[in-house]
Amino acid sequence: MSFALPIFQLSFARIGLGSLPLRTRLSARMTGPGDMDSPEDRARVDAALIRRMAGGDRDALAELYDNLSRPLYATARHILNDAAEAQDVVHDVFLSLWENASSFDSGRGAAFSWAVTLTRNRAIDRLRTRSNRARLLGNSIPDDLGYGEEPAEAGGSAKAELGDRAVAVRSALAELPPDQQKALELAFFSGLTQKEIAEKLSEPIGTIKARIRRGLLKLRDALANRL
Amino acid sequence: MIDDRQEELASLHAFGLLEGAELEQFVAQMRGNPELRRRVAELRAVAAGLAHTAPDAEPPAALKARVLASAASRAAAAPLLRFPAWVPWALAACLAIAVAWTGRQYSDMRAANASLADEKRIAEQALALTRAQLDEAKRLVTESSRQVAELSTKLKDEGDLAHFKIATLASMLGNSPAAVAVAVWDPSRQRGVLSVSKLPPAASQKDYQLWVIDKQYPAPVNAGVFVVDPATDEAHIVFKADKPLGNIAKFAVSLERKGGVPSREGPVVLLSE
Repeated sequence: MSFALPIFQLSFARIGLGSLPLRTRLSARMTGPGDMDSPEDRARVDAALIRRMAGGDRDALAELYDNLSRPLYATARHILNDAAEAQDVVHDVFLSLWENASSFDSGRGAAFSWAVTLTRNRAIDRLRTRSNRARLLGNSIPDDLGYGEEPAEAGGSAKAELGDRAVAVRSALAELPPDQQKALELAFFSGLTQKEIAEKLSEPIGTIKARIRRGLLKLRDALANRL
Repeated sequence: MIDDRQEELASLHAFGLLEGAELEQFVAQMRGNPELRRRVAELRAVAAGLAHTAPDAEPPAALKARVLASAASRAAAAPLLRFPAWVPWALAACLAIAVAWTGRQYSDMRAANASLADEKRIAEQALALTRAQLDEAKRLVTESSRQVAELSTKLKDEGDLAHFKIATLASMLGNSPAAVAVAVWDPSRQRGVLSVSKLPPAASQKDYQLWVIDKQYPAPVNAGVFVVDPATDEAHIVFKADKPLGNIAKFAVSLERKGGVPSREGPVVLLSE
């Protein structure tokens, strides 16, 4: 599916995110033929770019950077709460993709998942090696995970250029019970262990495990219905 | 079939939250369960989608230039290191084979070296033994040669003796029955020895004369006259015959005229068997 749409505005309130602690009204400007592609189409495009990268095509790297750098940078910055370190992480991740492109197997997962996993792992590694880990953890994990804040660098048109995938995920997450949202957010962004998450939320560890499981499965089902 | 417990572990694994024994057990389960592996991959993709929920942040433009510059420098530094996915596995396999081959060679060479060392040790022992045996053989040869020489000498002597004609002559005299003589004849030299004892000396006009009876001659052959020492009644002479002797039958001593006679005339006083 490849067709152009006029620029339109999309607010979280319009897709049912008003009940979330996400108070910010984000608008998405969707431009270009790829914006309305399915996740499968995007995965195929990214896989093709990585195959070209494996052949030494730096233009393909530039395209992949354009496709993925924004969520990767946002993820690294949110985990580390540090723009400079987030840039280092994203830089290292794209170099790793460039150098290991030949080992990519699209049958084992999408390029996006691969890149996110690399980014998250590297960011968490950095987080865990900080000498003042405890203090930084406290600073880097805001209670509402930043949804209520305006990102420092996301202004104007850049902020508006979220894809439909991002909107879908946010919408699906917003539909989860708050305790499951919280468990997933901490599991993904905090770098905490199961035990640490349980302590932070003052819940038994078994409860945290169950919340993570139920939340992830609901998110999966919700995304399947939306995309 | 995936049960609730496995699904819970799969969810936690999608976030990298499993640790220690729990992680090891789950990874072991995944190895034998393709459906569980697919479930983990599916949940990991869902979890990765949470990256979209981070507060939006646009990376600075300089970051893209930095990434591309780094990639260019890496590509320029190692243009030949970009291989198809199977190449590292092939290289690893080759390396493993090479290591295995080298290890095998090393093991074989060590075994061969040990074997050669054993063989060398055995050879040295064999050499030392051979040298000892050679020395012993040389000693035996020397001893044998000496013995052979002695035996040869003995055999020669015995052979010579064997060829000798030895005879004992008994008294034929009534008044001197104890008279006795031994005659030894060497055929190779055609010479003999006669030893007489307890024989009374001959009268002044008489001589004892020795005769050799050879079957090839019709008459006894003269072997000379001899004188008995009156002090001892003995006589020891070396004698020769007037003719070549080859088939001696007997020796005889007769009492003849002084100086001897060509053919026996007087009485026989000593005669061999």
